[in-house]
Amino acid sequence: MTNAIPTSFDALPTTQRRFIGREVDRIEDRSLVTGHAPFIDNFTLPDMLHCAILRSPHPHARIVGIDTSRAEALPGVAAVLTGEDMQRWCNPTATAPEGWGPYSLAVGKARFVGEPVAAVAATSRYIAEDACELIDVEYELLPPVADATTALDLATPLLFEENGSNLIVGRNFVWGDVEGVFAAADRVFNAKFRWNRVGANPTETFGCVCQWDLIEDRLTCHGSYQTPSFMGLGRAHVLRLPANRINIVSHPQGGGFGGKGGPRGTDIASLLSRKSGGRPVKYIEDRVEYLLAGGGQSWDRYYEAWLAVRADGTVTGLRVQLLDDQGAGAEGYGTISVAKPLAAFTGCYRIEAAEYDVKVVCTNRAPSYPYRGYGPPPHNLVLESMMDLAARELGVDPAEFRRRNYIRPEQFPYTIPSGNEYDSGNYEATLDKALELAGYAELRAQQQRARAEGRLVGIGIASTIEPGVFDWNAYATVGVPGVGVPEGISIGINLLGEITARVGFNLQGQGQYTVVAQLLADWFGVEMGAVRVVYTDTDHAPPHFGQGGSRLGVSISGAALGACQRITVKLRRAASVLLQAPFEQVELMDGVLRVKDMPQAQIPLAQVVGAMLARSDLLPEGMQPDASATSVWTAPGRTAPDEMGRCKSYLTAANACHVVLVEVDADTGKTEILKYVIADDCGTRLNPSNVEGMIQGGVAQGVGAALLEQYVYTDEAQPLVSTFMDYLVPTINEVPMTQKAALVTPSPFAPLGAKGCGEGAIHTTPAVLIAAINDALSPLGVQVRETPASPHRVWSLIRSARGDRASV
Amino acid sequence: MKPAPFDYYAPESLADAIALLAKFDDEGVEAKILAGGQSLMPMLSLRVARPEVLVDLRKLAELHYIRDEGDTIAIGSMTSKRAAEESALIRERQPLFHDATMNIGHLPIRAHGTVGGSFAHADPAAEYPAAAIALDMQMKAVGPDGARVIGARDFFVTYLTTDLAATEVLTEVRMPVLAPGTGWSFREISRRKGDFALAGAAVLLSLAGGRISDSRVVVFAVNATAVRLPAAEQVLRGQAPGEALFREAGLAGAAEIEEPIADVHASADFRRHLVSVVVARGLAEAQSRARG
Repeated sequence: MTNAIPTSFDALPTTQRRFIGREVDRIEDRSLVTGHAPFIDNFTLPDMLHCAILRSPHPHARIVGIDTSRAEALPGVAAVLTGEDMQRWCNPTATAPEGWGPYSLAVGKARFVGEPVAAVAATSRYIAEDACELIDVEYELLPPVADATTALDLATPLLFEENGSNLIVGRNFVWGDVEGVFAAADRVFNAKFRWNRVGANPTETFGCVCQWDLIEDRLTCHGSYQTPSFMGLGRAHVLRLPANRINIVSHPQGGGFGGKGGPRGTDIASLLSRKSGGRPVKYIEDRVEYLLAGGGQSWDRYYEAWLAVRADGTVTGLRVQLLDDQGAGAEGYGTISVAKPLAAFTGCYRIEAAEYDVKVVCTNRAPSYPYRGYGPPPHNLVLESMMDLAARELGVDPAEFRRRNYIRPEQFPYTIPSGNEYDSGNYEATLDKALELAGYAELRAQQQRARAEGRLVGIGIASTIEPGVFDWNAYATVGVPGVGVPEGISIGINLLGEITARVGFNLQGQGQYTVVAQLLADWFGVEMGAVRVVYTDTDHAPPHFGQGGSRLGVSISGAALGACQRITVKLRRAASVLLQAPFEQVELMDGVLRVKDMPQAQIPLAQVVGAMLARSDLLPEGMQPDASATSVWTAPGRTAPDEMGRCKSYLTAANACHVVLVEVDADTGKTEILKYVIADDCGTRLNPSNVEGMIQGGVAQGVGAALLEQYVYTDEAQPLVSTFMDYLVPTINEVPMTQKAALVTPSPFAPLGAKGCGEGAIHTTPAVLIAAINDALSPLGVQVRETPASPHRVWSLIRSARGDRASV
Repeated sequence: MKPAPFDYYAPESLADAIALLAKFDDEGVEAKILAGGQSLMPMLSLRVARPEVLVDLRKLAELHYIRDEGDTIAIGSMTSKRAAEESALIRERQPLFHDATMNIGHLPIRAHGTVGGSFAHADPAAEYPAAAIALDMQMKAVGPDGARVIGARDFFVTYLTTDLAATEVLTEVRMPVLAPGTGWSFREISRRKGDFALAGAAVLLSLAGGRISDSRVVVFAVNATAVRLPAAEQVLRGQAPGEALFREAGLAGAAEIEEPIADVHASADFRRHLVSVVVARGLAEAQSRARG
């Protein structure tokens, strides 16, 4: 039987909602903050070996020969792995689009600095690293492709010769009458942008312990895995094993954000286990490895954009040209980040026609991987900068300019030119809330006073959409097949009325276990402490994806509600026998099974389950004594894309408006954030403090992208960033504690009306900070069009504005 | 990221430590002294430092002290930076050294790192070498042939290099207390709080009759060692203090820097410019604290 998943709290079988939607203590925090959670580096197996990886020092080099004899002779070394083993045992990694994946250890040539070339398993990590120094690799240097801007030149060397080009994806998407609206526009604004490489930097880097059972020919991989079943499928392809012979055991993680470079590390540790007779092999990626060649690099982009505007300030057209540097191939599914902006291409605005001209190229930089937000944050910077550019040129206040162009509340559900449907929203209300909280008029007055003193003070406003509940169909344009991303849960109630929920994803910090416990406690009328949420490995878990794409909170709620409904039907059947009432008359409410309109005829839930499990004499023959159910949820109503990539992809569209005040130090180019205000509407908040945490964390990463972080490469594709002394993530000193306001426009389509909110402010913070800096710089006639707005970059702009005179 | 193999010694006394260093020196074995490890341990893990032997001074309680010697403050080299930070004596009587301490990294780094370690490591961006040059500090080293005292100007030779011999242990650093009425400033321009500076300045300023009677301008993080800027001091001498003068001094000082360091955070040009800014700001701060 199918039941619609409820889209509001009203459908819950409780008259007193105590947990879901309220501030509650998170059940996972105690183990995470005390370090008691079994993080992978604390995990040991008997007879375990340790892996170290020898990495290429060259961005592009043919491997002429590898001599491992000295390493193999070092006492304590159990196995040495090279590209030869790859060719014997493996397939190159699968990619989207196909054909841009390397082997997990370089075969034939190395394509970036830090690419694994050989690996050692030894009795300690120290010995393994010593052994790496004893491996002799003879390289023949090849000219590198250092930058996307030259990747397609005819004279440029090829990374994957068999593909005949460095172009991974080239597409021109045209949605609506783009030529027409630009021809009819009163003004067309144009600007170029450069978004430099940034990426995820979780507290914990990737780690795994892999053991290849040579007798049973099966593989068990313990690790800090974000998406276990997906990881298992990928390993099956690479390692040539049936997927059901690979058990992926995810451990709690010190953050993820999409970037843990798990595939190569897992393959290498697994093959070292195979080569060393089946001993378990631990690989812990260190920070230098992570920064050089882990999954921490994303979004290396050159943009040019055009905005068509009518004289009355109506924006009618948006054209975006993107040249995206994926680095050395598509192994990290970084191509998806180019496709995802289709889910919110025109942002919060009614823009009737749009064009997206995309070239995705490979270079000899490290391969790019997913990063929180997965592509739209740079796109949002471009779109919001164009809105500001138009507003400034037309002499309209940026808040008012946005207001004129917002999609209006009565227009939802609203289909944008690139095909996605926004579920609901009230963007003007979000803007007004942010302006009110910021004291916008007073901020402008403050700015006037500061300018009179010669200070560079600026106000930024940005309005963005966070596409929530990702779906594979959104990525069909880069060759990912499929519609739907299932997430499952198995829930059982024991004869004491205690509830266990089994899920396929482990702790990462967002708090989804707490959301499940909140929901089940309210549904079954028990305390949250009576609910346990348990991680299960891929051998046991229901279909699942795990964290990613602002979807898990919504998805697991959908799955849990489905399972609750099924269990409730079973309880009602048993209760109808025990209460001698017709099934239709029996309902679950506040933890008891009762007969409608006969409040005295009721029986506690635990007693019903107890009867099912321990009193077969009371129940009819054939009624299964089963108070459990498995349910798998996927977003309803998703569609396959058309030839222009248009589809209903992301189920929900959250909306945020940020307003900030900054001051730029004209002498040093350094930006100080003086005030930061956020109004955020992500529909129903299942756990308000979870949402606030996601927003604040997104602000931190946004501050990093806007002001501090950059993976710097030389003109020869040599990385200059390999430690946290060079790659500057913001600390608590650089991240403002923001003032936040919540608006609630529930999703009409999502479980309990909740929208995906896991990416949060990273969609908005880079755009709003650059907007504020540009507002500060506008009297000088210069604008920041390249991230991060580092002191050096901003100072150079100021100096260019002032000419050669007075460089102080 | 694990160190290459090394032998480890933790002598019980200074005499034992020196004897060990002398023995390894005789044998041609490369030994390195380990103090708080805040620089050396990462260098070992990155395998950019590969000594054969580490001589750890952590057991030498005799090198933990902060001593009031009247016009001089003496600090034992194994004293933690955190202890220096918390010393009322240093804060009250040599506030420039206190401010230098407060600019070093973050609390955990100061808790582990030693005062002597920073002097002996001689990082171009380190705070203490700049303070040492500004204050004409003296460093006491003990070796097989006894003790000697080295002035700051001779102590810091170049990038990560001091005048210390392989067999010597830096045991103490000595500084004069601040002369009454002297204004001081220790400032950095850095990308994040606690980062190594893009440019930093240690400044002393004395006034007499409303004019600058004496000054000391030292900048760091821009050359292989912290450097004194006589051209800036020259601009200031005998002049009435003021913003324009300080800017002029900053520019004069910046102009005399030879080949500023360039890295991913700042080009040589930008660093030179930041020198002029940090010097001007330091002078203004020092003036606000000076009397006379």
